[in-house]
Amino acid sequence: MRIGGIDLFIVVAYLVAIPVFGVYFRKYVKTEEDYFLAGRMLPWWVISMSIIGTNIGAYDYMGAAGGAYRFGIAQANYEWIGAVPAMILSAMLFVPYYWKAGVYTVPEFLGRRYNVAVRVIEALLWGSFLACVLGVFFWAAGLMLNEYLGIPIWVSLIMTAVIVGVYTITGGLAAVAMTDVVQLLVMFIGGVALSVLGLWTVGGWSGLVESISTAHPNHFKLFLPLDDPTIPWLGMILGLAFVLSPAWWCCHQAIIQRTLGARSEWDAKAGMLFAAFPKMFIPVLVVLPGLLALSLNPNLVGPEMDRAFPWLIRNLLPAGLAGLVFAAFMAALISSVDSTLNSAATVWTKDIYQRFFVKNASDQHYLKVGRILTLVFILWAIAFAPVTKQFPGIYVAMQSLLSIFQGPTFAITLLGIGWARATQWGGLFGLLAGVAVSSTLYFAAGWSFLYVAWWSFVGALVVNMVVSLLTKPEPTSKLEGLVYGLVMKDDEMQSILSHRAERGE
Amino acid sequence: MTDWMADLPLWWGKVVAVVCFFGMAIWAWRRPRSFIFEGAPDNHRWRDLRVWASVLMGIQIVIYLAF
Repeated sequence: MRIGGIDLFIVVAYLVAIPVFGVYFRKYVKTEEDYFLAGRMLPWWVISMSIIGTNIGAYDYMGAAGGAYRFGIAQANYEWIGAVPAMILSAMLFVPYYWKAGVYTVPEFLGRRYNVAVRVIEALLWGSFLACVLGVFFWAAGLMLNEYLGIPIWVSLIMTAVIVGVYTITGGLAAVAMTDVVQLLVMFIGGVALSVLGLWTVGGWSGLVESISTAHPNHFKLFLPLDDPTIPWLGMILGLAFVLSPAWWCCHQAIIQRTLGARSEWDAKAGMLFAAFPKMFIPVLVVLPGLLALSLNPNLVGPEMDRAFPWLIRNLLPAGLAGLVFAAFMAALISSVDSTLNSAATVWTKDIYQRFFVKNASDQHYLKVGRILTLVFILWAIAFAPVTKQFPGIYVAMQSLLSIFQGPTFAITLLGIGWARATQWGGLFGLLAGVAVSSTLYFAAGWSFLYVAWWSFVGALVVNMVVSLLTKPEPTSKLEGLVYGLVMKDDEMQSILSHRAERGE
Repeated sequence: MTDWMADLPLWWGKVVAVVCFFGMAIWAWRRPRSFIFEGAPDNHRWRDLRVWASVLMGIQIVIYLAF
């Protein structure tokens, strides 16, 4: 199916308007802090909308709709139990410590809490992961543009790069966050329009349930039996709710970076917490379409299930609405790509380049390096995108990549903030042990990523605690402001933390 | 790892989920008021993040009991 007429006009207008709007914010970028943290001026409502824009990507529309087609509303666990409690935890425990410490990145915080080795490992892990994710996002864009605009995939990859690159390179986090706000609105308008029309077509919610539940009795149950090979309920709770979700919402650089740019500690906390409200409605945009596609066409099999969302657009939407929904899909894609690009550049500039190559250069120098690295990551993503087609399910591939190091990262971050006795060596060996456990279980034993995440978390936690108890405690002066119970509220401590951040300690 | 848990009924999942949601709401209310409002321009009731957290958890409980 090719879209044309009014639909094409809507899509083209949207694709032109977003970079124009984003480029406007380049005038606010004078220093590296402006570029990477939006000058620490973001209000809570921008943070929350940018967080959700960053979180909901093209893979959600394709992968989650496909997952809902396969498994039913159990797929919504990723947006509910697999997000909301962790966002509260992040807002009320992790974010205030990150914000007070005045850091640019999560690896920087861990480096200050533990040691430089932990920082480098985390930076390399996150830097590599964000780069791989960019490839997944770009490939999803390629598929969609190829199917609906008839553009060859390589051309569509380059188009995406130009649209996103123009304002991400020039405007930094401020441009990214503000365009995310607009894009989230587009996503919701398009997504809700699709779901409402779909429900109307199948005869409302009762019609949907009736048409699906006979052939698929588990499709309206949030928890699936333990013998389910992909998302058993125990794995959902242990792996997703207890580990992967907190790891994502408490330690994911692209998510946390928005709160680091907050104008106050309250804005940082409120931004993360308020994001949970739109997050709860995301299943309406990404899960319900999968169920609607199943109701209207139960004949998709295998990899075709990942095309449930495009199938719905092609077969359900009238002229005008198809363009709007396509714009919503592109909004999800672009808002994730720009955030990931900005975060990848931040990690590589602050944690690798500034730490190891050029330590005491000017603000302008690091600003320039950040922009160059953003361009490098765009080129990398174009080259890496085709590799992602070798994975059978886009969303599962994402989660699988995450599970390798999310569990260990969350374990050492949790202990780092929550337990003053955790030492630098405990953190380092805990991280290494956790990654070793997850790699072994995933690649050698072939376990589900949900259980891999849980056991790698437990492994990292135990090794961190044992090694910490066997090694010399860290001095209190190092821990102040970084560990629960040792955060001071007075201005003097905030001043100390700010000076530490400026010196890069 | 699920062999020894294979007999656990499905409703255990709901129980664990709802207990977690309650626990999270209670934990939020145990955070000191001074911490909640740290950095806020004023102490209006709507800025109390513990209320936000409770509403979120309340909605989650309803959803997980319904499905």
